[in-house]
Amino acid sequence: MIKFCDVNKWYGGYQALADINAEVKRGEVVVVCGPSGSGKSTLIRTVNRLEEIQSGELMFDGQNVHARMSGTQLNRLRSHIGFVFQSFNLFPHLSALDNIMLSPMKIKGVDRAKAHDKAMQLLDRVGLASKASAHPAQLSGGQQQRVAIARALAMEPPAMLFDEPTSALDPEMVGEVLAVMRSLANEGMTMMCVTHEMGFAREVADRVWFMDAGRIVEIATPDKFFGNPEHPRAKRFLSDLRTRH
Amino acid sequence: MLINIYHIIADNWLLLLIGQFPNGPLGGIAATLLLSILGIGLAFPLSILVALARLSPWPVLSWPATALVYVMRGVPLLMIIFWVYFLLPLLIGRIVPGFLAMVCTLVVYEAAFLSEIVRAGIQALPKGQMDAARALGHSHLSAMRYIILPQALYNMIPSILSQFVSTIKETTLGYVINVPELTFAASQINNQLLTQPFEVFFVLASIYFAVCWTLTQLTNWLERRIAAKRAGRGASELLVVDGVAVIKPETVQEVRQ
Repeated sequence: MIKFCDVNKWYGGYQALADINAEVKRGEVVVVCGPSGSGKSTLIRTVNRLEEIQSGELMFDGQNVHARMSGTQLNRLRSHIGFVFQSFNLFPHLSALDNIMLSPMKIKGVDRAKAHDKAMQLLDRVGLASKASAHPAQLSGGQQQRVAIARALAMEPPAMLFDEPTSALDPEMVGEVLAVMRSLANEGMTMMCVTHEMGFAREVADRVWFMDAGRIVEIATPDKFFGNPEHPRAKRFLSDLRTRH
Repeated sequence: MLINIYHIIADNWLLLLIGQFPNGPLGGIAATLLLSILGIGLAFPLSILVALARLSPWPVLSWPATALVYVMRGVPLLMIIFWVYFLLPLLIGRIVPGFLAMVCTLVVYEAAFLSEIVRAGIQALPKGQMDAARALGHSHLSAMRYIILPQALYNMIPSILSQFVSTIKETTLGYVINVPELTFAASQINNQLLTQPFEVFFVLASIYFAVCWTLTQLTNWLERRIAAKRAGRGASELLVVDGVAVIKPETVQEVRQ
């Protein structure tokens, strides 16, 4: 579903992504982890072209994301890729409900009544039906992130990308967001998650990609990765995590 | 002297308020406010277009917009008034009345300044807002229309109001092309009396001060409200915040003891 072929990205002279070759299959949940600055966020942002790449090919659902295309084509492609940000990025001038309804109405041309029903259904699903009329500033971080997930789901994307969805949250709110992500995974959603939540990775991921210095240095099942990592950098990363917890 | 001021106001209050209207053109403070409202009101939509052009990646749009802003910022308003008043009739072949010339000048001039406010407002929003809009599939224009501008314009309301205050003061320059506004009315009075320029212009200054000061207070109040709203507090909690401000250092000392 998401396929990287020899993807390279430079910021000036600095190589942010190097020879990325990997694939997220349909229905698969991939967790991308690694030390900070290893290129995880850059990698996930190339999938919907929030970041450009300099060489290689990136296929999403059979389409070459970084091919030359018109703005309209790119917008349509992006509308098929759900994206959840670390900093939620809800639209603060709109209520939770309007945040979810806006894009289906303005981009897909869904009529208001349908968009409203769908948005209420999604809010219910993330456990926030009672907060429909609340503005983002009136919601906790965990609630905002759940609305953000609902907003992305409203476009009915075949795959969802999560860029450190719980890193900006207080510890007691991490669980509620992970629960929503877990239920998505259980329903067979194709997911690519950059996260430091190793418990989530162990439990939900089909595979773990470990990145270091712009490269994917290890791809393994969670059991293998957490039980017996091969790459020395991955070993050190995991032992650092253990001593911290 | 106070008695003179009293007489000036008592004899001329209607002239200061509305000029010679309805027997002549609208003047006085009414014309000043009308000029300012028309100037800012018409400049505002134009300024959004200029700001969008200036932020545009296409040089065809960004260069002329940038040039307009730089010229308007670098040339005194008086020069532009002269250009419009003397040059425009040559170009279109008809006489342009002073009031209209002044409105045109203000629109172009204020549009340039307002566009810088709009641009700052757009750029001050967190980058994540545009990212989120684009990730959902919004085009640049759709993101601007539904996500960026509603927030930016709301945040800019105080700046726009303070630009309105400057505009009120700038309308005084209309005097040089005989626009019948407040300064023009005052100078008419001065020409009649001849001996009391200090008193007349003191009255004039006081009226400008009263209007502008009131608007500035309104701006400050709006600014506080918007800042509080941005920080995520509703109107009800605003009261609580005001309550906190009432606690003075002495009170804190007492509580500590």
